[in-house]
Amino acid sequence: MGPDEILELSATELSRLIPGRELSSSDAVSAAVTRLERLEDKLNAFITVLREPALAEAKKADEEIAHGRNRGPLHGVPVTIKDMFETAGVRTTGGSKILADWVPETDSALVERLRAAGAIIIGKTNLDEFGHGGTSTLSHFGPVHNPWNIDRIAGGSSGGSAAAVASRIGPLSYGTETGSSVRRPASYCGIVGFKPTFGIISRHGSFRGAWSQDHVGIFARSVKDITLGLDPVAGFDARDPASVHQEEPAYAARLDANVKGLRVGVLRRFLEGVNPEVRQAFEAALKVLAETGCEIVDLDVPELSYAAMTSMMTSSAESAGINRHWFRERYHDFVPHVAKGLAVGMTITASEYLTVQRARHRIREALRATFEEVHIIAAPTTARVAPLLSEGVRGNGDDARHASDNHSNLLRFPSMLGLPGCSLPCGLNSEGLPVGLQLVGAWFADQAVLNTAFAYQSTTDWHTRRPALA
Amino acid sequence: MTDKNKFAHRLALLEGAIFSPSDLESIVQEIEDNQRIVTELEEFSQGDPWIASQVQPAGKKV
Repeated sequence: MGPDEILELSATELSRLIPGRELSSSDAVSAAVTRLERLEDKLNAFITVLREPALAEAKKADEEIAHGRNRGPLHGVPVTIKDMFETAGVRTTGGSKILADWVPETDSALVERLRAAGAIIIGKTNLDEFGHGGTSTLSHFGPVHNPWNIDRIAGGSSGGSAAAVASRIGPLSYGTETGSSVRRPASYCGIVGFKPTFGIISRHGSFRGAWSQDHVGIFARSVKDITLGLDPVAGFDARDPASVHQEEPAYAARLDANVKGLRVGVLRRFLEGVNPEVRQAFEAALKVLAETGCEIVDLDVPELSYAAMTSMMTSSAESAGINRHWFRERYHDFVPHVAKGLAVGMTITASEYLTVQRARHRIREALRATFEEVHIIAAPTTARVAPLLSEGVRGNGDDARHASDNHSNLLRFPSMLGLPGCSLPCGLNSEGLPVGLQLVGAWFADQAVLNTAFAYQSTTDWHTRRPALA
Repeated sequence: MTDKNKFAHRLALLEGAIFSPSDLESIVQEIEDNQRIVTELEEFSQGDPWIASQVQPAGKKV
């Protein structure tokens, strides 16, 4: 099997072929790293490349298989991680000049669990500084480019991870999300991005963006691969105060495309300003969901008009609290736009923050009632396709500063409320750029979200499309 | 042009960080904007007795 064929293999296929000795981990890792190095001058998706350590680990993984030892479901599978996660002996920058040369002594919980499952980390991906952004242009290491069109952004803040998976540089990547940092880049890069319920994956050893909104999320080309990548990293961890006790994760085993009778709600008031081609792709996706047996119902949750600004204010205040020491000592070393954002957050008072949290509770209660009526809320993930790099940080078209029917309310409420959310490809616009479908479920209804996404992918082929660059 | 003196007490919270005049102008504009936002959210959340907390450990397997 040649490198190009290997790179098209899913994580699920690799997890069968490598233990079955039909393909070596060394060949899989070598193909991924070589692809990475070939595209890196175009994408700038990585901050640290781990060619030699990864190849050494792959060799060891092959030896283990030869001796009958299989560490777990990701044995020998090449993966990438956002440079938000601490890695023992490997620099961990957060995309910041402040930590440009910092080498942690211990692994984050995510990395511990990936290694225990046999995964091989081939590189650490580029991002907006400490996750503060939605474009992946606010990195000390330069902007990430979108593999579908390198003049466009990959979305952020986990843009490097999304660009890598879309380019077939490893079938899985792990990122973080505080506002929309998994789902937005997944949408812009034409892949699947899944963020589970708050507390499902431990955040221990990852940089904080905003304590009460931070999640770990996963990127893959298919929902099936998302579940393969989710099972080994989900589970209780006492070192993360938000971590929840869970049954042994079995998302992959329980993946089921039978979603007949599931009620899927649509919040049309927030779709008015959505780009027409994006809206068209979304309406087509609803028809597919209806054909799979879902019941599509219109909803109205006017409280969501306040979601984006409540999320933004929460994130602003918490990120200022998190970065207060560095802001005092080294504010000039932050990316300028990030430094300005932190400065604004520093001026939010405690009583103002708590006022925002009251609003957040009201929105939460409105959503709690909504999920008594429907199982899933569907929306276009983003209001437009990936904007041009030249449009800067405003290119996403978000409005988080007004109570309005702007689509950004739909993008930001899942992380603000800790709900499971998934973006999956549902079309290409006339310029050949990907459009994303967002599916959101109630708290701990992660399996229902994944099953709905799986049902969609079982009858469509948008997730098999790839950028010419790949 | 925003009146910076009006926000002097807020800017004191920056604890000595120095920004260019244009950056300071945009920071002050956002502070002013935040005050409007908080006023709107206060009105919106009147009658709601609680503040939000994210999902807490369930104490049992979920």
